[in-house]
Order: sequence, then structure tokens, then C-alpha cells
Amino acid sequence: MGLEYVKISPGFEKYMPRDYVDLVTFGQFGKEVDVMQLGQFKELVEEHPMCAGCYMAYFIRVFYAALPKPEDTIVLGTAGCARLALSQAAVPFIYGNYGDTNAVASGLKRALSIRFPDKDKDVVVMAGDGGLMDIGFGMTMHSWFRGEKFTTIMVDNEVYGNTGGQESGMSPKGVQLKMAPTGKKFDKINAVELAQVSGCVYVAKISPTNPKKIAKVVRRAILAARKFGPTFIHAYTSCNIEYSIPTREVLQDARQREKQDFKFYEWMTDEVKEYLEEIERKEKERKKQEVRS
Amino acid sequence: MYFVAEVHEKDCQKYNCKQCVLFCPEPNCLNYKESAHTAWVWYDRCKGCEICVYVCSDLLKRDCIEMVMVKAGD
Ligand SMILES: Cc1ncc(C[n+]2csc(CCOP(=O)(O)OP(=O)(O)O)c2C)c(N)n1
Ligand code: SF4
Ligand code: SF4
Ligand code: SF4
Ligand SMILES: [Mg+2]
Repeated sequence: MGLEYVKISPGFEKYMPRDYVDLVTFGQFGKEVDVMQLGQFKELVEEHPMCAGCYMAYFIRVFYAALPKPEDTIVLGTAGCARLALSQAAVPFIYGNYGDTNAVASGLKRALSIRFPDKDKDVVVMAGDGGLMDIGFGMTMHSWFRGEKFTTIMVDNEVYGNTGGQESGMSPKGVQLKMAPTGKKFDKINAVELAQVSGCVYVAKISPTNPKKIAKVVRRAILAARKFGPTFIHAYTSCNIEYSIPTREVLQDARQREKQDFKFYEWMTDEVKEYLEEIERKEKERKKQEVRS
Repeated sequence: MYFVAEVHEKDCQKYNCKQCVLFCPEPNCLNYKESAHTAWVWYDRCKGCEICVYVCSDLLKRDCIEMVMVKAGD
């Protein structure tokens, strides 16, 4: 991993697949892109088999565009729908056993800090509500207790989507699913609150209705994890299949949920706040200067 | 045959907006051509979800995207 690693060796351009040449020529490597330019550069994630209109797939698309340093990032996933797209991106991807993601990420991040002491190497876990809050609950919590410096993103579709509709701890109370026909008996787990009291230094909850906001949160979570400790994003990413949402109404549903139980929420420690504000202030200045010159 | 989105470029050009591009779930599927000020669809990548139609017609009332049937090889 690193910029040298992704570049094409001189003379080999004509033998590389077109998509890869485009990626190196019109892609994100070595620079930060503005997500508002989506559709005008070659994206890191490629075609994948996630369902039509899947907003988990949409969140993943924006996530990759938001990476501050894709050439120095490793993404960890596990069983569940997200890995179907995560495994199709030009960013190293590790498939952790179901439930193990945050243990694997802990070891990986520590190893990278020993191997590259002077460089920022970002580790991001992206997994489902079942993967992080049910079966991987213990490993998720303990990575936070230990203060491991990586980002955890929960793509919460409120169901086990990949295995056909079992309820998860994140499914809302009362909801009836294909394999939970009598309705869920207890409340949705408050993951954000758990993260906040378990050692995370940055926490956000978001419904994917605004790509700029998603990108800001992803970037902040990754930058804060580099320096201070664990960070967590809880994203609502609907499963139109298991929740029978007509695909045309998927964005409308995300907007609706944002008004209800997925209101935007962001919390961080004072030192993280100070650090991020300083970075963002400098960036603004640099952009202003670029416009002037 | 399958269903894909098609942008009416002459209509889209009037708006210089790019909104649908920002909400398509598929990577590099609904793109934007700055030189012609229009969105365009890479048909092979389109899964026919109509989220772009929701954005263009239901939210923005611009009606520049139509769903059409294509055959393999079109
Ligand atoms: C140890 C283990 N137990 C069970 C499974 C089967 N399994 C695969 S995906 C999945 C559920 C996925 O649900 P979630 O994590 O919410 O992801 P989603 O598919 O909803 O995105 C299960 C139970 C597995 N792969 N490994
Ligand atoms: S089953 Fe649901 S979450 Fe999984 S890819 Fe399909 S729509 Fe997305
Ligand atoms: S939303 Fe409609 S008008 Fe706007 S770019 Fe898309 S097709 Fe064009
Ligand atoms: S129909 Fe769906 S996949 Fe096709 S261009 Fe529109 S938003 Fe993208
Ligand atoms: Mg799930």
C-alpha cells in the first residue's frame, strides 16, 4: 500500500484493464476529491452485485469518495451485504470472520503503526448491524474499551439482509420481518450512546440524504482516529428488499427517517474538536488562496 | 431486455444542476459532462432503481429522466 504501489509501471499502460488506467488517470489516488464532483472522476468502487436501489450501496459509494488517503487505507468487512461492494474497490479489503472485524482491525492498526511509525495508515471497519451489534458485539465493545485507533462504520439496515430477513438488535421494536414473523419484542439498541460511553472520541449518526454531510462525517471520523482513539459512525442504510421499499422511494424513506429517529447527531471530545477545527480552518484558507491565484 | 434510465440531454442542459448524479447508488453509472452541462447514464451500470427519477421528477419537477427498455448490446 502507498502511492507508488497503485501507479502503473511505465510501459505497462497498454496491458492494464481500461478501468484501472482510468482509475490512475482520472481517479482519487494522491489527491482528495470533492464528493460534489461525483460522476466526474473515476470512482474507487466498481460494479458490484448489491441490489438495485440499495442505499447501503449508495453509502459505500460516497464513503469511498470521501476517503482522505485511499492509497493508505485498509477497509475491513465481514459477512453481510456491504462486503459485496467493499470487495470491488481499489482499496485493500480484508474479510474478517463474522463478528471478528474489530479484533482483526485492532491487530492490523497496531501492526501498521509499528511497521510505518512516521506515516498515517487508516483502518476502517464497515459492517452491518448484525456484524457489529449482535454477533460481533463483544469485539466491537472491547476495541472501544481499549481505545484502538481506527474507525468503525455500522451500515444499519435494521435486519440481517444477506441471509434473508432475521431480526437484529438494531431492528425497531414491533417490526415484522420474514424470519421474525411475530414481531420484534425489544427496543432498537442505542449504539451511538454505547459508543460514547465506551471510549469512542468521535461519534456520528446519519441518514444518507446529503453526500456532502456523509463525506464530512467520514473524513472527520478517520482523521480523529489517527490521533486520538476509536471513532464510530452509525449510518441508516435501508434494505429495500427486506423492508419492501419501492426502489424509487428509497431516498424519500431516508429523508423521512432523518426527520424521525435518524436525526443528524455528532459528538466529539474537546481535543478532537479543536484538532478538526484547526485542520478544516487551514483547508478553507488553502481553498480560498487557490481561488485567488 | 432490461430497464435503464435515460437522460434527455437537451432538457437537462437547461438546468446545470447535477443533483441526480449525487444520489445514484451505483458507481460511475449516472455521470456528468461538464462541457455539455448534462447528466448521462452508462447503461451497462444502471440497475433501473429510478432513484434518479425521484430526484429529477418528484423532488425537482424537472422531468429530464425517462426509464427505457434496452436489449443486450444496445
Ligand atoms: C460466524 C457466522 N455466523 C453466521 C454467519 C451467517 N451470516 C452471514 S451474513 C449474516 C447476517 C448479516 O447481517 P448484517 O451483519 O446486519 O449485514 P447485512 O447483510 O444486513 O448488511 C449471517 C448471520 C456467518 N457468515 N458467520
Ligand atoms: S438485501 Fe438489502 S441491504 Fe442487501 S444488497 Fe439487497 S437491498 Fe441492499
Ligand atoms: S436532476 Fe434532472 S436536471 Fe438535474 S442533472 Fe439530473 S437529469 Fe439533469
Ligand atoms: S435508475 Fe438507479 S442505477 Fe440507474 S441511473 Fe438512475 S439512480 Fe442510477
Ligand atoms: Mg443488517
